[in-house]
Amino acid sequence: MRHNKLLLVGLALGVIVLIAGVLGPQFTGQDYATQNFQNVNQPPLSEGHLFGTDSLGRDLATRTFVGIRVSLIVAAGVTLMSMVAGIVIGMVAGFLGGWIDRSIRGAVDFVWGFPLILVAVLFAAGFGEGLFPVILAVGLVNTAAIARVVRGEVLALKEREFIEAAHAGGLSTFRIMWRHAFPNILGPALVLTSYYVAVAIIAESALSFIGLGAQPPLPSLGQMVADGRNFLRLNHWAATIPGLAIVMMVLSVSLIGDGLRDVFDPRLRHEAKGVDD
Amino acid sequence: MKRIAGRTLYTLLVLFLASVAVFYAIRLSGGDATAARLVASATAEDREAFRELLGLNEPIHQQYFTYMGRLLSGDLGVSLTNSSDIFKMLTFHGRNSLILGVTAFTLVFAVGIPLGILAARKRNTWVDGAVMTFSIGGMAVPNFWLALLAIWLFASVWGLLPSAGCCSPRQLIMPAFVLALEGIALTVRMTRSAMLENLESDHVRTLRAGGLSEARVVNKHVLRASFIPIISLMGLRIGQIVGYALVVETIFGWPGLGQVLVNAVLRRDYPVAQFFSLVLVAIVVAGNWAADIGYSLANPRLRKT
Repeated sequence: MRHNKLLLVGLALGVIVLIAGVLGPQFTGQDYATQNFQNVNQPPLSEGHLFGTDSLGRDLATRTFVGIRVSLIVAAGVTLMSMVAGIVIGMVAGFLGGWIDRSIRGAVDFVWGFPLILVAVLFAAGFGEGLFPVILAVGLVNTAAIARVVRGEVLALKEREFIEAAHAGGLSTFRIMWRHAFPNILGPALVLTSYYVAVAIIAESALSFIGLGAQPPLPSLGQMVADGRNFLRLNHWAATIPGLAIVMMVLSVSLIGDGLRDVFDPRLRHEAKGVDD
Repeated sequence: MKRIAGRTLYTLLVLFLASVAVFYAIRLSGGDATAARLVASATAEDREAFRELLGLNEPIHQQYFTYMGRLLSGDLGVSLTNSSDIFKMLTFHGRNSLILGVTAFTLVFAVGIPLGILAARKRNTWVDGAVMTFSIGGMAVPNFWLALLAIWLFASVWGLLPSAGCCSPRQLIMPAFVLALEGIALTVRMTRSAMLENLESDHVRTLRAGGLSEARVVNKHVLRASFIPIISLMGLRIGQIVGYALVVETIFGWPGLGQVLVNAVLRRDYPVAQFFSLVLVAIVVAGNWAADIGYSLANPRLRKT
């Protein structure tokens, strides 16, 4: 019961964030890059600026909404990539077994052993700063994480009667994977993915914060927090509002993930990365 | 024993592969190396000569072996931006990172485990609720934002703590707590759920039925069984702390390994980036190895294999 309530809170927060990211910039009707040095560091609710302005006189509301949009795009890209690749890799490893499984597992464990931020910094060192290496690095680590779990699920599924029956019935491995195993894996994979959406949002903002993610003038929430930190005494809102936006996004996905977990798979509740009951 | 030997061999292999991968990644950006040292007006010939001087024109695998040879002999050259000796940078920044990392690591478990035990024993009371709310919050709040809130409140508004710098105990408080927070939140959850699982397990019920006092059941049996997942968490935490240190050190101006690496990447100071990414990768791999070994030793089911 408690989880359903939390799921609703998560969904509500998610809708707010989506609306802000998709429609927000149109709503404020201003440009995120236009500077106005006559009107810097204004607090929220000042004239014409819902959230005030930053140290260059740019409209904070527009920048926050565009920042949310950037976060959403990065999260969507990472999630799409890691979910598709993770499910495919995990299923192939689990079903085919043998040396294919061993080499995939070796590669996946290798990647998974490294902290996300470090991998992303190394990618930035190789490819230069920007959103692309961030998406690639976070996508890679999340793919490994999802593939690990999917492989485990497949191994468990392989022992079940209905898969054995399908084998006995002479169905091809591919058909069994697609028609019989995949629908059973989708639930746990979705639950896991929602957790990694949160990871992607935090990682992108952290990397943008240290200057390796989104490059100016494109606003990103992490970079806005970084810009605002030099003016904490004058106008802390330039740092606290984008930060709050990140927290809202992360909370929303985490709550949705917890709720989904309950719906799809009560067994997962005691998992390491899991949740209270 | 066999398992430990196997994992150690595996770790060495991982270390080798990781060092090759990191080496290639950084050399990919080698084209920019000249931008870090030479002025913008340098001619194409100047740049070429500089690349030749750094040995960047040789085949990469040869560069790798040359580099490893120099690494072992302790001669890694100097930073392209400020000419400091790279090995000297390691001792200075490594010491600072060690102070911060060890403090954060200790905090993760010294705060996380007792809170988790408390929440499990007071299950479904307001104490449990408060601890779990803190835990969920701790995992949702990005650490760099928390860091800024802390700086704003404790340094700017209340003036209780210095906002940045190294390495007095007062300067250590904020970065250490920010670095530890996510780990504390995770440890609380793990400890609590491991405790709950064991408190309800058959063997604990048998112990209780046998007349053991509740305190003895909890302290001797439940805690010990609950430590197994926590120990493997400890090793993995080393890697996570290394990752987060990249961000936290940058925010608090803590001159550690993470800050050096981030700055080197931003300034395309590739010899520094090269070396310090290898150092951090080695620390992470060693942490994973320690997690594995600790897990094998703590888990009686694996001890004999």
